[in-house]
Amino acid sequence: MPEGPLVRTEDLRVYFPVRKLFRTVGYVRAVDGVSLSIGRNETVALVGESGSGKTTFGRALLGLVRPTSGRILFDGTDIASMSEKELKRVRRRMGIVFQDPYASLNPTFTVYRIVEEPLVVNRIGTKEERREMVMRALEEVKLNPPEFFASKYPHMLSGGQRQRVAIARAIITRPEFVVADEPVSMLDASIRVEILLLFREIQRRHGVSFLYITHDLATAKYFSDRIAIMYAGKVVEEGPTRAVLSEPLHPYTQALIEAIPDPDPMNRFKMREVVPGQPPSLLNPPSGCRFHPRCPYFMKGKCDVQEPPLYDLGGGRKVACYLLEDRAAGS
Amino acid sequence: MPASSSDDYLLHVRDLILHFSTRRGIVRAVDGVSFSVRRGETLAIVGESGSGKSSTALGIVRILPRNVARYTGSIVFDGMELMRMDEEEFRRKVRIGGISMVFQGAMNSLNPVLRVGFQVAESLIVNLRVPKQEALRRAEEALELVGLNRSVAQRYPHELSGGMKQRALIAMALITNPKLVILDEPTSALDVMTQANIMNLLKRLKRDLGLTYIFITHDLALASELADRVAVMYGGRIAELGPADEVYPRPRHPYTKLLIESVPFLRYDRPPTFIPGSPPDLIEPPSGCRFHPRCPYFMKGKCDVQEPPLFRADGEHWASCWLLEEGRDA
Repeated sequence: MPEGPLVRTEDLRVYFPVRKLFRTVGYVRAVDGVSLSIGRNETVALVGESGSGKTTFGRALLGLVRPTSGRILFDGTDIASMSEKELKRVRRRMGIVFQDPYASLNPTFTVYRIVEEPLVVNRIGTKEERREMVMRALEEVKLNPPEFFASKYPHMLSGGQRQRVAIARAIITRPEFVVADEPVSMLDASIRVEILLLFREIQRRHGVSFLYITHDLATAKYFSDRIAIMYAGKVVEEGPTRAVLSEPLHPYTQALIEAIPDPDPMNRFKMREVVPGQPPSLLNPPSGCRFHPRCPYFMKGKCDVQEPPLYDLGGGRKVACYLLEDRAAGS
Repeated sequence: MPASSSDDYLLHVRDLILHFSTRRGIVRAVDGVSFSVRRGETLAIVGESGSGKSSTALGIVRILPRNVARYTGSIVFDGMELMRMDEEEFRRKVRIGGISMVFQGAMNSLNPVLRVGFQVAESLIVNLRVPKQEALRRAEEALELVGLNRSVAQRYPHELSGGMKQRALIAMALITNPKLVILDEPTSALDVMTQANIMNLLKRLKRDLGLTYIFITHDLALASELADRVAVMYGGRIAELGPADEVYPRPRHPYTKLLIESVPFLRYDRPPTFIPGSPPDLIEPPSGCRFHPRCPYFMKGKCDVQEPPLFRADGEHWASCWLLEEGRDA
């Protein structure tokens, strides 16, 4: 077994040009200097609001969007600079599950053909071998009996069943790394946990590394080993999930937690404290710390001038906030 | 305030049935639902997709698709039996100043080519014949009430963020001074912080204006942000109904209990579990209790044979489960 994380990014940036007629008038800085690693057999939750860049980051890791700069090391080799042909070979070792199981499955394909397709595209196995693999994959995602589901079309299935098909498709090539982009946010609450437990079971059995992209801190709490909080294209806090959620250090992480209710009838008597303002435009993000215009601890002349580095606090915890400057120096 | 305001209750729904005909058969979306709503309180109707919670709301405000197969029961609103009203009377007495609805999917329910102010004012202009200038002025006031700047009235929907659009929809619902506001997943598709802002707004309006809400959601945590009482729906029926202070800590229906256990808590450590099986087919619902095929307390020969009525657990707390039958200990 090789050493080191399976996936590692170094100062990854993904900018999208904004064109007016034939001139580029600016860039949407979707991912703006993210260094993150995902260990073997580990689930990292990437949490952020819409527009934080989390989906773009996930796509970059799979080589689906080309980074503007920085490195993406997959099992030690940089895929950011690979040719499309080389990428294709590496991508076989990766999988993706999308958010919307109503849109991500071809409605004219049977479940069998949907799940088989990655094998066909990658020219894996004979027809009989592929059949064997499809049935095993369907069994693994608990679509039992597999023969029954194989002949179905997506519209005949429930949302949860469709998402299982999407998972079977993602894992059939035995990937080492899977990006799950909001895989349960379209599903009913009672089904979410079932699907997330399925991911965990697959991880245990095959040693898969997951990047779990979500806006939902509560599911991230129970279904990830480490968590990274993204705001306006940057990771503002990172660390072991339980530690980050029980003692959030970045003001944005704290605000995010405060905004989320747990079921409790006392909630109706309390106003929730919400930081003012909106996430910034990624076309023209604020100077210094991107959270400074909304931050309750804003220090003038500091936070709005220079961007805080991601301080390493030890124990795997990293926070990009000047409030932690002293603590970082001490550790 | 109308003449009947001496009555504590604003709404009584009795044995509401709403069935739809489809190619596969009759879908029994709402199948005998009864509840009441007091003035000034919030009733949350909680359930998964297909539980009948949204159909119940549509039944109350009579926004029905063409394939209705059966629509019966009694809906008494503010002392008036709605089921006996013709369309014109319903429009005058219920749609205008009676019951307003805030739909889910805020992003798509505004007209992109009309200014926001006009859309908020429209029902005053069209239904109440309020002069346009006056209506637009009141629309600006309504926008202010929901925390938006008056100038938003001059803007078009695409210039607004999701949260602002949702606020505009709430302003639109409130401009006719409704007695009851039905909120159908009013924060779905909004970001966490925006959701918290909208919930704060709804709380403030409830407190300051004494609004009465029916709050429809699949999210038990979100429901607890507003609910004085909770109705849990399953398979077109009410499984449990009671004060929020009772239902959350002491659920009496096994379904409610399992639903609460499936919620990942952020502030406590308790790994969530899931409910095995899938929701019932509403074309051919299970015999007896509709939850029996998934219920860990299933009693053969009882639960699969006879449908349980709503048993009183205590006080105002009811659950439709045989475990609560007299002489049995739950």
